[in-house]
Amino acid sequence: MPRFASALAVLNEMKSAAVLEEYAVAGAMAIVFWTEPVPTYDLDVLVWLPPSSSPVVTLTGVYTWLGARGYRAEAEHVVIEGLPVQFLPAHNALADEALRTAASLDYEGIPVRVVRPEYLIALYLEPGTRTPRRRERAALLAESPRVDQQRLGELLERYGLER
Amino acid sequence: MSDASTSRRRPSRELLEQLREGKAQLRAQRRNLSLAEKVGAVIELQRACLPLLARQRPLRSWERVWDLEP
Repeated sequence: MPRFASALAVLNEMKSAAVLEEYAVAGAMAIVFWTEPVPTYDLDVLVWLPPSSSPVVTLTGVYTWLGARGYRAEAEHVVIEGLPVQFLPAHNALADEALRTAASLDYEGIPVRVVRPEYLIALYLEPGTRTPRRRERAALLAESPRVDQQRLGELLERYGLER
Repeated sequence: MSDASTSRRRPSRELLEQLREGKAQLRAQRRNLSLAEKVGAVIELQRACLPLLARQRPLRSWERVWDLEP
């Protein structure tokens, strides 16, 4: 049976192979890294794709590289070592900053970059994506002792986000 | 007719605080699990939640119990 760590190792390989310029785990699994287990079914990975001459952002290179290694695409996911993974190109300056400042953690000997909790909260509170579930997850994270409340306040103010 | 809402026995404030404290302790324990234990807990949550979710709506292709070891 594949191991969760093996899927994380593939992310690092993708970065080494320049298929991804940078990555960081985001979404519910990032919450799990920072606080308590929550139900989720996939791994969201925030990414910067390598520079390209095309103005259109496409995940074709990602899917091709993974497909050549036997990892199949299913709808908007790719199943890597048994784990459905969704690659999310950074969509704005907040996502860029979340990616740039991600923490390097260790999972069973495998290094993994994870979006810091203050940035996860800010991403959950972005206008246009504020669903009740995302607000609930922001609230769950916000009460975690791992959150730097001063950094969070500064971040929300700088990006004009409301709790 | 008696008013059930006024005659029903209620828990004391101390009992409610004790219950909330117990819940907070449980959550703190779960926060302090190792990362591998947390991934194991996510898989357990998937086993518990998916049948309930499936009763409410069709499951999406990726909504399944992860076939992997933590």
